[in-house]
Amino acid sequence: MVLSEAGNVTENVLPSIRGAWNPEKVFRDAGGAGKASALPVGRGLYDAIDISGHRNNTAVSAATETTAGEFNVWRNSFAAEYLPAGGSLVHVDDVPFRFPPVCEGPDNIRCSGQFIRVPEGRYDWIHVLAASERRTEDTVELSFADGSVDAEALRVSDFWAAPAWFGETKAFESLVMHYPHHVQRGIPAVMWAQRVPVTRRTGLTGILLPRNVAVHVFALTLQRTET
Amino acid sequence: MTVEATARTYTITGPEPELWYRDLISCLQATCGSVLAREGADPLAVLGAGWQFLHMPGDVRSEEFYYPCSAGQLGRALAPHHDLSARWWQPADEGDVWREVRERLADDRIVIAAVDNFHLPFRPAYGDVHAAHLVLVYGLDETRGVVHVSDAMPPAFRGAVPIEEFRRSWGSANPTDAQDAFFSDSEIGLRCLDVSLGTPPAPLTPESLGDCLRTDVEGFTTETSSRTGIAGYDAFAGELRERCRAGDAGALRELYPFGWAMQAQASLHGELLRRCGRDWDDAVLAGAGRAVETVAHAWTGLRFTGAHGHGDPRAAAPDIAHHATLLRAAYARAVDAVGAAAARL
Repeated sequence: MVLSEAGNVTENVLPSIRGAWNPEKVFRDAGGAGKASALPVGRGLYDAIDISGHRNNTAVSAATETTAGEFNVWRNSFAAEYLPAGGSLVHVDDVPFRFPPVCEGPDNIRCSGQFIRVPEGRYDWIHVLAASERRTEDTVELSFADGSVDAEALRVSDFWAAPAWFGETKAFESLVMHYPHHVQRGIPAVMWAQRVPVTRRTGLTGILLPRNVAVHVFALTLQRTET
Repeated sequence: MTVEATARTYTITGPEPELWYRDLISCLQATCGSVLAREGADPLAVLGAGWQFLHMPGDVRSEEFYYPCSAGQLGRALAPHHDLSARWWQPADEGDVWREVRERLADDRIVIAAVDNFHLPFRPAYGDVHAAHLVLVYGLDETRGVVHVSDAMPPAFRGAVPIEEFRRSWGSANPTDAQDAFFSDSEIGLRCLDVSLGTPPAPLTPESLGDCLRTDVEGFTTETSSRTGIAGYDAFAGELRERCRAGDAGALRELYPFGWAMQAQASLHGELLRRCGRDWDDAVLAGAGRAVETVAHAWTGLRFTGAHGHGDPRAAAPDIAHHATLLRAAYARAVDAVGAAAARL
Protein backbone atom coordinates (compact mmCIF):
# COMPACT_ATOMS: atom_id res chain seq x y z
CA MET A 1 0.00 0.00 0.00
CA VAL A 2 1.28 3.45 -0.78
CA LEU A 3 0.13 7.01 -0.46
CA SER A 4 -0.15 9.22 -3.44
CA GLU A 5 1.14 12.76 -3.34
CA ALA A 6 -2.29 13.91 -2.26
CA GLY A 7 -2.28 11.45 0.59
CA ASN A 8 -4.78 9.04 -0.93
CA VAL A 9 -4.35 5.36 -0.19
CA THR A 10 -3.56 3.47 -3.35
CA GLU A 11 -2.82 -0.16 -4.22
CA ASN A 12 0.30 0.52 -6.25
CA VAL A 13 -1.59 0.34 -9.50
CA LEU A 14 -4.03 3.12 -10.03
CA PRO A 15 -3.99 4.37 -13.59
CA SER A 16 -5.67 7.54 -12.39
CA ILE A 17 -2.58 8.67 -10.48
CA ARG A 18 -0.15 7.93 -13.30
CA GLY A 19 1.33 11.20 -14.32
CA ALA A 20 -0.35 13.03 -11.44
CA TRP A 21 3.06 14.24 -10.34
CA ASN A 22 5.10 15.93 -13.00
CA PRO A 23 8.76 15.03 -12.64
CA GLU A 24 9.78 17.50 -15.31
CA LYS A 25 8.33 20.35 -13.30
CA VAL A 26 10.00 19.33 -10.09
CA PHE A 27 13.33 18.48 -11.67
CA ARG A 28 13.63 21.52 -13.88
CA ASP A 29 16.05 23.21 -11.49
CA ALA A 30 17.77 20.07 -10.38
CA GLY A 31 21.37 19.73 -11.43
CA GLY A 32 21.50 15.94 -11.72
CA ALA A 33 24.87 14.39 -11.04
CA GLY A 34 26.81 17.57 -10.35
CA LYS A 35 24.62 19.52 -7.95
CA ALA A 36 22.87 18.78 -4.70
CA SER A 37 19.15 19.12 -4.71
CA ALA A 38 16.17 17.89 -2.77
CA LEU A 39 12.73 17.08 -4.07
CA PRO A 40 9.57 18.30 -2.41
CA VAL A 41 8.00 15.59 -0.30
CA GLY A 42 5.82 17.65 1.95
CA ARG A 43 7.21 16.49 5.28
CA GLY A 44 9.40 18.57 7.56
CA LEU A 45 11.84 15.86 8.58
CA TYR A 46 12.70 14.46 5.19
CA ASP A 47 14.61 15.50 2.09
CA ALA A 48 14.08 13.32 -0.96
CA ILE A 49 17.31 13.51 -2.93
CA ASP A 50 17.35 14.06 -6.66
CA ILE A 51 19.24 11.13 -8.19
CA SER A 52 17.95 11.64 -11.71
CA GLY A 53 21.35 12.45 -13.13
CA HIS A 54 22.78 9.14 -11.95
CA ARG A 55 20.15 6.72 -13.18
CA ASN A 56 21.81 4.24 -15.50
CA ASN A 57 19.67 1.09 -15.49
CA THR A 58 16.10 0.09 -16.34
CA ALA A 59 14.63 -2.30 -13.79
CA VAL A 60 10.92 -1.88 -14.53
CA SER A 61 9.15 -2.83 -17.73
CA ALA A 62 5.63 -3.02 -19.08
CA ALA A 63 4.11 -6.40 -19.86
CA THR A 64 3.86 -5.26 -23.46
CA GLU A 65 7.58 -4.49 -23.66
CA THR A 66 9.49 -6.78 -21.32
CA THR A 67 12.58 -6.50 -23.50
CA ALA A 68 13.05 -2.97 -22.15
CA GLY A 69 13.99 -4.33 -18.72
CA GLU A 70 17.57 -5.12 -17.81
CA PHE A 71 17.70 -5.30 -14.04
CA ASN A 72 20.03 -8.31 -13.91
CA VAL A 73 22.37 -10.33 -16.10
CA TRP A 74 19.43 -12.24 -17.59
CA ARG A 75 17.53 -9.02 -18.29
CA ASN A 76 14.77 -9.80 -15.82
CA SER A 77 12.71 -6.86 -14.61
CA PHE A 78 9.94 -5.73 -12.28
CA ALA A 79 6.42 -5.56 -13.72
CA ALA A 80 5.26 -1.95 -13.89
CA GLU A 81 1.63 -2.79 -13.15
CA TYR A 82 2.51 -3.88 -9.61
CA LEU A 83 4.49 -0.76 -8.77
CA PRO A 84 3.56 2.85 -7.95
CA ALA A 85 3.10 5.34 -10.73
CA GLY A 86 6.27 6.87 -12.04
CA GLY A 87 7.24 10.00 -10.15
CA SER A 88 4.61 9.52 -7.45
CA LEU A 89 5.15 10.24 -3.79
CA VAL A 90 5.14 6.99 -1.84
CA HIS A 91 5.53 6.29 1.85
CA VAL A 92 7.16 3.20 3.31
CA ASP A 93 7.13 2.95 7.09
CA ASP A 94 6.10 6.62 7.06
CA VAL A 95 9.23 7.60 5.13
CA PRO A 96 8.43 9.49 1.92
CA PHE A 97 10.18 8.62 -1.33
CA ARG A 98 9.84 9.98 -4.81
CA PHE A 99 9.30 6.90 -6.95
CA PRO A 100 11.37 7.04 -10.11
CA PRO A 101 9.93 7.46 -13.58
CA VAL A 102 8.49 4.18 -14.82
CA CYS A 103 8.78 2.93 -18.39
CA GLU A 104 10.39 6.18 -19.45
CA GLY A 105 14.01 5.05 -19.57
CA PRO A 106 16.46 4.47 -16.74
CA ASP A 107 14.74 4.19 -13.35
CA ASN A 108 17.53 3.26 -10.94
CA ILE A 109 21.22 3.59 -10.19
CA ARG A 110 23.24 0.44 -10.75
CA CYS A 111 25.99 1.17 -8.28
CA SER A 112 29.43 1.80 -9.68
CA GLY A 113 30.90 4.34 -7.29
CA GLN A 114 28.65 7.30 -8.10
CA PHE A 115 28.96 10.31 -5.78
CA ILE A 116 25.65 11.88 -4.85
CA ARG A 117 25.82 15.41 -3.47
CA VAL A 118 23.17 16.22 -0.89
CA PRO A 119 21.99 19.52 0.60
CA GLU A 120 24.39 20.10 3.46
CA GLY A 121 22.75 19.36 6.77
CA ARG A 122 22.59 17.26 9.89
CA TYR A 123 20.91 13.93 9.22
CA ASP A 124 20.30 10.78 11.26
CA TRP A 125 19.31 8.31 8.55
CA ILE A 126 19.71 7.73 4.85
CA HIS A 127 16.65 5.85 3.63
CA VAL A 128 16.92 3.99 0.35
CA LEU A 129 14.59 2.10 -1.93
CA ALA A 130 16.84 -0.60 -3.30
CA ALA A 131 17.06 -4.11 -4.69
CA SER A 132 19.95 -6.46 -5.29
CA GLU A 133 20.95 -9.25 -7.61
CA ARG A 134 21.41 -11.74 -4.75
CA ARG A 135 21.98 -10.76 -1.16
CA THR A 136 24.62 -8.04 -0.92
CA GLU A 137 26.58 -6.20 1.74
CA ASP A 138 28.79 -3.35 0.70
CA THR A 139 29.85 0.08 1.90
CA VAL A 140 28.72 3.64 1.29
CA GLU A 141 31.11 6.44 2.19
CA LEU A 142 29.57 9.52 3.76
CA SER A 143 31.32 12.84 3.17
CA PHE A 144 30.92 15.70 5.65
CA ALA A 145 31.45 19.44 5.43
CA ASP A 146 34.42 19.32 7.80
CA GLY A 147 36.27 16.95 5.48
CA SER A 148 35.63 13.79 7.44
CA VAL A 149 34.46 10.60 5.74
CA ASP A 150 32.68 7.66 7.37
CA ALA A 151 32.05 4.25 5.84
CA GLU A 152 28.73 2.65 6.64
CA ALA A 153 27.23 -0.65 5.57
CA LEU A 154 24.57 -0.83 2.87
CA ARG A 155 22.82 -4.19 3.08
CA VAL A 156 20.25 -5.17 0.48
CA SER A 157 18.42 -8.48 0.17
CA ASP A 158 17.88 -10.35 -3.05
CA PHE A 159 15.13 -9.10 -5.35
CA TRP A 160 14.40 -12.66 -6.54
CA ALA A 161 11.66 -14.32 -4.49
CA ALA A 162 13.69 -13.83 -1.32
CA PRO A 163 13.08 -12.91 2.30
CA ALA A 164 14.25 -9.69 3.96
CA TRP A 165 17.53 -11.18 5.14
CA PHE A 166 18.76 -7.88 6.56
CA GLY A 167 15.50 -6.93 8.24
CA GLU A 168 14.42 -4.46 5.61
CA THR A 169 10.82 -3.54 4.92
CA LYS A 170 9.35 -4.98 1.77
CA ALA A 171 8.48 -1.74 0.01
CA PHE A 172 7.00 -3.02 -3.25
CA GLU A 173 6.56 -6.39 -4.82
CA SER A 174 5.96 -7.32 -8.40
CA LEU A 175 4.03 -10.58 -8.19
CA VAL A 176 5.39 -11.68 -11.54
CA MET A 177 8.89 -11.57 -12.97
CA HIS A 178 9.44 -10.15 -16.40
CA TYR A 179 11.72 -12.12 -18.71
CA PRO A 180 12.81 -10.76 -22.07
CA HIS A 181 10.34 -12.99 -23.89
CA HIS A 182 7.60 -13.69 -21.37
CA VAL A 183 5.92 -12.85 -18.07
CA GLN A 184 6.67 -15.44 -15.38
CA ARG A 185 4.22 -16.16 -12.60
CA GLY A 186 5.41 -17.62 -9.32
CA ILE A 187 8.60 -15.57 -9.05
CA PRO A 188 8.06 -12.24 -7.31
CA ALA A 189 10.50 -9.34 -7.65
CA VAL A 190 10.96 -7.35 -4.47
CA MET A 191 12.09 -3.79 -3.82
CA TRP A 192 13.30 -3.13 -0.28
CA ALA A 193 13.28 -0.11 2.01
CA GLN A 194 16.63 -0.09 3.80
CA ARG A 195 18.34 2.56 5.90
CA VAL A 196 21.91 3.61 6.64
CA PRO A 197 22.82 5.46 9.85
CA VAL A 198 24.59 8.82 9.89
CA THR A 199 26.43 8.70 13.20
CA ARG A 200 28.65 11.77 12.85
CA ARG A 201 27.08 14.92 14.31
CA THR A 202 28.11 17.30 11.59
CA GLY A 203 26.90 18.39 8.20
CA LEU A 204 26.56 15.66 5.58
CA THR A 205 27.45 16.76 2.05
CA GLY A 206 27.55 13.65 -0.08
CA ILE A 207 27.22 9.89 -0.42
CA LEU A 208 29.63 7.70 -2.38
CA LEU A 209 27.83 4.57 -3.56
CA PRO A 210 29.67 1.24 -3.66
CA ARG A 211 31.40 -0.15 -6.74
CA ASN A 212 28.96 -3.03 -6.82
CA VAL A 213 26.81 -3.67 -9.89
CA ALA A 214 24.58 -6.05 -7.94
CA VAL A 215 23.12 -3.15 -5.93
CA HIS A 216 20.39 -0.97 -7.44
CA VAL A 217 19.09 2.24 -5.83
CA PHE A 218 15.68 3.52 -6.90
CA ALA A 219 15.17 6.41 -4.49
CA LEU A 220 16.96 8.09 -1.65
CA THR A 221 15.56 10.17 1.21
CA LEU A 222 17.46 11.81 4.07
CA GLN A 223 15.97 12.07 7.53
CA ARG A 224 17.07 15.25 9.29
CA THR A 225 18.29 15.35 12.86
CA GLU A 226 15.50 16.61 15.09
CA THR A 227 16.45 19.69 17.00
CA MET B 1 8.48 -49.84 0.81
CA THR B 2 6.89 -48.56 -2.36
CA VAL B 3 3.47 -48.66 -3.83
CA GLU B 4 3.46 -50.40 -7.18
CA ALA B 5 0.04 -49.32 -8.40
CA THR B 6 0.50 -51.07 -11.70
CA ALA B 7 3.39 -52.93 -13.21
CA ARG B 8 4.56 -49.66 -14.77
CA THR B 9 3.88 -47.16 -11.99
CA TYR B 10 6.44 -46.40 -9.32
CA THR B 11 6.40 -43.77 -6.62
CA ILE B 12 7.94 -43.14 -3.26
CA THR B 13 5.86 -43.76 -0.16
CA GLY B 14 4.67 -41.00 2.13
CA PRO B 15 4.35 -37.32 1.36
CA GLU B 16 5.87 -35.57 -1.62
CA PRO B 17 9.44 -34.32 -1.09
CA GLU B 18 9.93 -31.22 1.02
CA LEU B 19 10.83 -28.11 -0.97
CA TRP B 20 14.04 -27.20 0.85
CA TYR B 21 15.41 -23.84 -0.24
CA ARG B 22 17.49 -20.82 0.75
CA ASP B 23 18.01 -17.81 -1.49
CA LEU B 24 21.79 -18.28 -1.86
CA ILE B 25 21.89 -22.02 -2.50
CA SER B 26 21.83 -23.79 -5.84
CA CYS B 27 19.79 -26.75 -7.01
CA LEU B 28 22.56 -29.00 -5.67
CA GLN B 29 22.02 -28.04 -2.03
CA ALA B 30 18.24 -27.79 -2.57
CA THR B 31 17.92 -31.35 -3.90
CA CYS B 32 20.34 -32.78 -1.34
CA GLY B 33 18.49 -30.93 1.41
CA SER B 34 15.18 -32.44 0.33
CA VAL B 35 16.68 -35.94 0.36
CA LEU B 36 18.21 -35.36 3.79
CA ALA B 37 14.92 -34.06 5.18
CA ARG B 38 13.17 -37.18 3.93
CA GLU B 39 15.79 -39.31 5.71
CA GLY B 40 14.89 -37.54 8.93
CA ALA B 41 18.00 -35.37 9.10
CA ASP B 42 18.21 -31.62 9.51
CA PRO B 43 19.50 -30.40 6.11
CA LEU B 44 21.01 -27.23 7.57
CA ALA B 45 22.90 -29.17 10.25
CA VAL B 46 24.35 -31.59 7.67
CA LEU B 47 25.03 -29.23 4.76
CA GLY B 48 26.00 -26.30 7.00
CA ALA B 49 28.38 -28.00 9.42
CA GLY B 50 31.41 -27.71 7.15
CA TRP B 51 33.10 -24.71 5.62
CA GLN B 52 36.05 -24.94 3.27
CA PHE B 53 37.63 -23.28 0.27
CA LEU B 54 38.67 -25.41 -2.68
CA HIS B 55 39.37 -24.29 -6.23
CA MET B 56 40.35 -26.82 -8.86
CA PRO B 57 41.78 -25.16 -11.98
CA GLY B 58 40.36 -26.63 -15.16
CA ASP B 59 37.61 -28.49 -13.31
CA VAL B 60 34.78 -25.93 -13.37
CA ARG B 61 31.78 -26.98 -15.45
CA SER B 62 29.03 -24.68 -16.69
CA GLU B 63 26.28 -26.19 -14.56
CA GLU B 64 24.19 -24.76 -11.74
CA PHE B 65 25.19 -27.77 -9.65
CA TYR B 66 28.96 -27.59 -10.11
CA TYR B 67 30.81 -28.21 -6.86
CA PRO B 68 34.59 -28.57 -6.55
CA CYS B 69 35.67 -31.94 -5.20
CA SER B 70 38.01 -34.82 -5.88
CA ALA B 71 36.65 -37.63 -8.04
CA GLY B 72 33.91 -39.48 -6.22
CA GLN B 73 34.10 -37.20 -3.18
CA LEU B 74 31.07 -34.96 -3.72
CA GLY B 75 29.34 -36.13 -0.55
CA ARG B 76 32.41 -35.47 1.52
CA ALA B 77 32.83 -32.04 -0.05
CA LEU B 78 29.22 -31.09 0.64
CA ALA B 79 29.18 -32.43 4.19
CA PRO B 80 32.75 -33.00 5.40
CA HIS B 81 31.67 -33.77 8.96
CA HIS B 82 28.93 -36.25 8.10
CA ASP B 83 28.65 -39.65 6.46
CA LEU B 84 27.06 -38.32 3.29
CA SER B 85 27.41 -40.22 0.04
CA ALA B 86 26.79 -38.51 -3.30
CA ARG B 87 27.53 -40.56 -6.42
CA TRP B 88 26.82 -39.75 -10.06
CA TRP B 89 25.48 -42.48 -12.34
CA GLN B 90 24.00 -42.91 -15.79
CA PRO B 91 21.67 -45.60 -17.15
CA ALA B 92 23.58 -48.72 -18.11
CA ASP B 93 21.21 -49.71 -20.90
CA GLU B 94 20.46 -47.17 -23.60
CA GLY B 95 17.57 -49.38 -24.65
CA ASP B 96 15.86 -48.96 -21.26
CA VAL B 97 17.05 -45.73 -19.63
CA TRP B 98 14.31 -45.89 -16.97
CA ARG B 99 15.41 -49.20 -15.47
CA GLU B 100 17.56 -47.72 -12.68
CA VAL B 101 14.94 -45.06 -11.95
CA ARG B 102 12.31 -47.77 -11.52
CA GLU B 103 14.63 -49.74 -9.25
CA ARG B 104 15.34 -46.78 -7.00
CA LEU B 105 11.72 -45.71 -6.75
CA ALA B 106 10.75 -49.32 -6.05
CA ASP B 107 13.31 -49.19 -3.25
CA ASP B 108 11.61 -46.00 -1.96
CA ARG B 109 14.54 -43.79 -2.95
CA ILE B 110 14.26 -40.38 -4.59
CA VAL B 111 16.24 -39.86 -7.78
CA ILE B 112 18.14 -36.62 -8.33
CA ALA B 113 18.28 -36.04 -12.07
CA ALA B 114 20.23 -33.54 -14.13
CA VAL B 115 18.07 -31.71 -16.65
CA ASP B 116 18.17 -28.94 -19.23
CA ASN B 117 15.68 -26.22 -18.27
CA PHE B 118 14.97 -25.55 -21.94
CA HIS B 119 12.79 -28.69 -22.12
CA LEU B 120 10.95 -28.50 -18.78
CA PRO B 121 7.53 -26.80 -18.99
CA PHE B 122 7.58 -25.49 -15.41
CA ARG B 123 10.95 -23.77 -15.66
CA PRO B 124 11.06 -20.09 -16.71
CA ALA B 125 13.65 -20.98 -19.34
CA TYR B 126 11.27 -23.41 -21.07
CA GLY B 127 11.64 -23.18 -24.81
CA ASP B 128 13.99 -20.24 -24.39
CA VAL B 129 17.29 -20.84 -22.63
CA HIS B 130 19.47 -23.93 -22.20
CA ALA B 131 20.80 -24.39 -18.65
CA ALA B 132 21.95 -27.39 -16.62
CA HIS B 133 19.84 -27.91 -13.49
CA LEU B 134 18.91 -30.60 -10.93
CA VAL B 135 15.44 -31.80 -9.95
CA LEU B 136 14.01 -34.61 -7.83
CA VAL B 137 12.15 -37.49 -9.46
CA TYR B 138 9.77 -39.07 -6.97
CA GLY B 139 7.46 -40.99 -9.27
CA LEU B 140 7.32 -42.61 -12.69
CA ASP B 141 4.01 -43.52 -14.30
CA GLU B 142 4.70 -45.14 -17.62
CA THR B 143 1.05 -46.01 -18.04
CA ARG B 144 -0.03 -42.38 -18.00
CA GLY B 145 3.24 -41.24 -19.52
CA VAL B 146 4.38 -38.85 -16.77
CA VAL B 147 7.30 -38.33 -14.43
CA HIS B 148 6.63 -36.82 -11.01
CA VAL B 149 9.14 -34.05 -10.42
CA SER B 150 9.91 -31.77 -7.50
CA ASP B 151 11.96 -28.58 -7.79
CA ALA B 152 12.41 -26.19 -4.85
CA MET B 153 14.11 -23.46 -6.88
CA PRO B 154 11.73 -20.61 -7.76
CA PRO B 155 9.13 -20.97 -9.12
CA ALA B 156 8.81 -24.02 -6.89
CA PHE B 157 7.10 -26.95 -8.58
CA ARG B 158 5.82 -30.38 -7.65
CA GLY B 159 3.87 -32.37 -10.13
CA ALA B 160 3.70 -34.40 -13.28
CA VAL B 161 5.74 -33.74 -16.40
CA PRO B 162 5.12 -35.58 -19.68
CA ILE B 163 7.64 -38.37 -19.89
CA GLU B 164 8.84 -37.41 -23.37
CA GLU B 165 9.54 -33.82 -22.33
CA PHE B 166 11.40 -35.00 -19.26
CA ARG B 167 13.38 -37.45 -21.39
CA ARG B 168 14.43 -34.65 -23.75
CA SER B 169 15.53 -32.55 -20.80
CA TRP B 170 17.36 -35.43 -19.10
CA GLY B 171 19.13 -36.43 -22.30
CA SER B 172 19.79 -32.95 -23.64
CA ALA B 173 23.09 -31.94 -25.15
CA ASN B 174 22.53 -28.58 -23.39
CA PRO B 175 24.19 -26.75 -26.27
CA THR B 176 25.94 -23.43 -26.05
CA ASP B 177 23.37 -20.69 -25.48
CA ALA B 178 24.32 -17.04 -25.78
CA GLN B 179 21.54 -16.15 -23.33
CA ASP B 180 23.23 -18.16 -20.58
CA ALA B 181 26.99 -18.25 -20.72
CA PHE B 182 27.26 -19.81 -17.28
CA PHE B 183 25.07 -22.92 -17.32
CA SER B 184 24.86 -23.98 -20.97
CA ASP B 185 27.36 -25.90 -23.08
CA SER B 186 27.46 -28.87 -20.74
CA GLU B 187 25.89 -32.14 -21.88
CA ILE B 188 23.29 -33.48 -19.46
CA GLY B 189 23.77 -37.05 -20.65
CA LEU B 190 21.07 -38.75 -18.53
CA ARG B 191 23.06 -38.12 -15.38
CA CYS B 192 21.60 -38.83 -11.98
CA LEU B 193 22.90 -38.39 -8.46
CA ASP B 194 22.42 -40.84 -5.60
CA VAL B 195 22.56 -39.06 -2.25
CA SER B 196 22.25 -40.89 1.04
CA LEU B 197 23.28 -40.65 4.65
CA GLY B 198 25.18 -43.54 6.17
CA THR B 199 25.47 -43.16 9.90
CA PRO B 200 22.52 -41.11 11.15
CA PRO B 201 23.87 -37.79 12.39
CA ALA B 202 23.91 -37.26 16.13
CA PRO B 203 22.33 -34.04 17.36
CA LEU B 204 24.73 -31.13 17.23
CA THR B 205 26.28 -30.23 20.56
CA PRO B 206 28.70 -27.43 21.40
CA GLU B 207 31.44 -30.04 21.63
CA SER B 208 30.71 -31.69 18.28
CA LEU B 209 30.29 -28.35 16.51
CA GLY B 210 33.50 -27.14 18.13
CA ASP B 211 35.32 -30.11 16.60
CA CYS B 212 33.92 -29.23 13.17
CA LEU B 213 34.95 -25.60 13.49
CA ARG B 214 38.46 -26.37 14.67
CA THR B 215 38.96 -28.74 11.74
CA ASP B 216 37.66 -26.15 9.29
CA VAL B 217 39.82 -23.35 10.71
CA GLU B 218 42.84 -25.60 10.38
CA GLY B 219 41.85 -26.21 6.77
CA PHE B 220 41.71 -22.47 6.14
CA THR B 221 45.04 -21.72 7.81
CA THR B 222 47.14 -24.65 6.60
CA GLU B 223 48.74 -24.54 3.18
CA THR B 224 48.39 -27.67 1.06
CA SER B 225 49.42 -28.70 -2.43
CA SER B 226 45.84 -27.95 -3.56
CA ARG B 227 44.10 -24.58 -3.69
CA THR B 228 42.58 -24.84 -0.24
CA GLY B 229 42.10 -22.39 2.58
CA ILE B 230 43.17 -18.76 2.57
CA ALA B 231 46.32 -19.58 0.61
CA GLY B 232 44.22 -21.37 -1.98
CA TYR B 233 41.92 -18.38 -2.21
CA ASP B 234 44.90 -16.12 -2.81
CA ALA B 235 46.08 -18.36 -5.64
CA PHE B 236 42.59 -18.43 -7.15
CA ALA B 237 42.11 -14.66 -6.87
CA GLY B 238 45.54 -13.87 -8.25
CA GLU B 239 44.96 -16.06 -11.26
CA LEU B 240 41.50 -14.57 -11.77
CA ARG B 241 42.93 -11.05 -11.84
CA GLU B 242 45.64 -12.07 -14.29
CA ARG B 243 43.24 -13.86 -16.62
CA CYS B 244 40.94 -10.82 -16.67
CA ARG B 245 43.79 -8.49 -17.48
CA ALA B 246 44.74 -10.85 -20.30
CA GLY B 247 41.20 -10.64 -21.71
CA ASP B 248 40.30 -14.25 -20.90
CA ALA B 249 36.47 -14.33 -20.81
CA GLY B 250 36.60 -17.95 -19.71
CA ALA B 251 37.81 -16.83 -16.30
CA LEU B 252 34.56 -14.92 -15.72
CA ARG B 253 32.37 -17.67 -17.18
CA GLU B 254 33.92 -20.08 -14.67
CA LEU B 255 33.71 -17.63 -11.79
CA TYR B 256 29.92 -17.64 -11.72
CA PRO B 257 29.27 -21.38 -11.15
CA PHE B 258 32.38 -21.85 -9.02
CA GLY B 259 31.51 -18.88 -6.85
CA TRP B 260 27.96 -20.15 -6.39
CA ALA B 261 29.31 -23.32 -4.77
CA MET B 262 31.46 -21.35 -2.33
CA GLN B 263 28.73 -18.80 -1.70
CA ALA B 264 26.06 -21.41 -0.97
CA GLN B 265 28.33 -23.27 1.42
CA ALA B 266 29.24 -20.12 3.33
CA SER B 267 25.61 -19.03 3.58
CA LEU B 268 24.51 -22.36 5.06
CA HIS B 269 27.46 -22.52 7.47
CA GLY B 270 26.87 -18.98 8.65
CA GLU B 271 23.16 -19.59 9.15
CA LEU B 272 23.84 -22.75 11.15
CA LEU B 273 26.33 -21.01 13.41
CA ARG B 274 23.94 -18.16 14.03
CA ARG B 275 21.17 -20.62 14.85
CA CYS B 276 23.36 -22.56 17.25
CA GLY B 277 24.58 -19.34 18.81
CA ARG B 278 21.00 -18.30 19.48
CA ASP B 279 19.94 -21.73 20.76
CA TRP B 280 22.98 -22.06 23.03
CA ASP B 281 22.96 -18.41 24.13
CA ASP B 282 26.45 -17.96 22.68
CA ALA B 283 26.77 -14.49 21.16
CA VAL B 284 30.34 -15.11 20.03
CA LEU B 285 29.25 -18.14 18.01
CA ALA B 286 26.31 -16.22 16.53
CA GLY B 287 28.67 -13.40 15.59
CA ALA B 288 31.01 -15.87 13.93
CA GLY B 289 28.08 -17.14 11.91
CA ARG B 290 27.29 -13.62 10.83
CA ALA B 291 30.92 -13.14 9.79
CA VAL B 292 30.71 -16.27 7.63
CA GLU B 293 27.52 -14.96 6.08
CA THR B 294 29.41 -11.81 5.18
CA VAL B 295 31.70 -14.04 3.13
CA ALA B 296 28.63 -15.32 1.28
CA HIS B 297 27.44 -11.79 0.66
CA ALA B 298 30.87 -10.68 -0.55
CA TRP B 299 30.74 -13.48 -3.13
CA THR B 300 27.76 -11.63 -4.68
CA GLY B 301 29.94 -8.65 -5.52
CA LEU B 302 32.61 -10.78 -7.15
CA ARG B 303 30.26 -13.15 -8.98
CA PHE B 304 28.03 -10.42 -10.42
CA THR B 305 30.88 -8.13 -11.34
CA GLY B 306 32.17 -11.07 -13.34
CA ALA B 307 28.77 -11.93 -14.79
CA HIS B 308 28.13 -8.39 -16.01
CA GLY B 309 31.69 -8.00 -17.17
CA HIS B 310 32.31 -11.28 -18.95
CA GLY B 311 31.93 -9.64 -22.34
CA ASP B 312 34.92 -7.41 -21.66
CA PRO B 313 37.15 -8.97 -19.01
CA ARG B 314 39.88 -6.35 -19.37
CA ALA B 315 37.44 -3.57 -18.54
CA ALA B 316 36.10 -5.60 -15.63
CA ALA B 317 39.55 -6.35 -14.22
CA PRO B 318 39.79 -3.39 -11.80
CA ASP B 319 36.39 -4.12 -10.24
CA ILE B 320 37.17 -7.83 -10.14
CA ALA B 321 40.35 -7.01 -8.24
CA HIS B 322 38.37 -4.73 -5.92
CA HIS B 323 35.81 -7.41 -5.03
CA ALA B 324 38.46 -10.12 -4.75
CA THR B 325 40.13 -7.92 -2.13
CA LEU B 326 36.86 -7.39 -0.24
CA LEU B 327 36.14 -11.12 -0.30
CA ARG B 328 39.64 -11.92 0.91
CA ALA B 329 39.12 -9.59 3.88
CA ALA B 330 35.76 -11.20 4.62
CA TYR B 331 37.34 -14.66 4.62
CA ALA B 332 40.16 -13.55 6.92
CA ARG B 333 37.79 -11.92 9.39
CA ALA B 334 35.40 -14.89 9.36
CA VAL B 335 38.17 -17.45 9.89
CA ASP B 336 39.35 -15.40 12.85
CA ALA B 337 35.83 -15.18 14.27
CA VAL B 338 35.14 -18.90 13.80
CA GLY B 339 38.45 -19.74 15.45
CA ALA B 340 37.58 -17.58 18.45
CA ALA B 341 34.15 -19.19 18.70
CA ALA B 342 35.58 -22.70 18.38
CA ALA B 343 38.03 -22.08 21.20
CA ARG B 344 35.09 -21.60 23.57
CA LEU B 345 33.15 -24.72 22.55
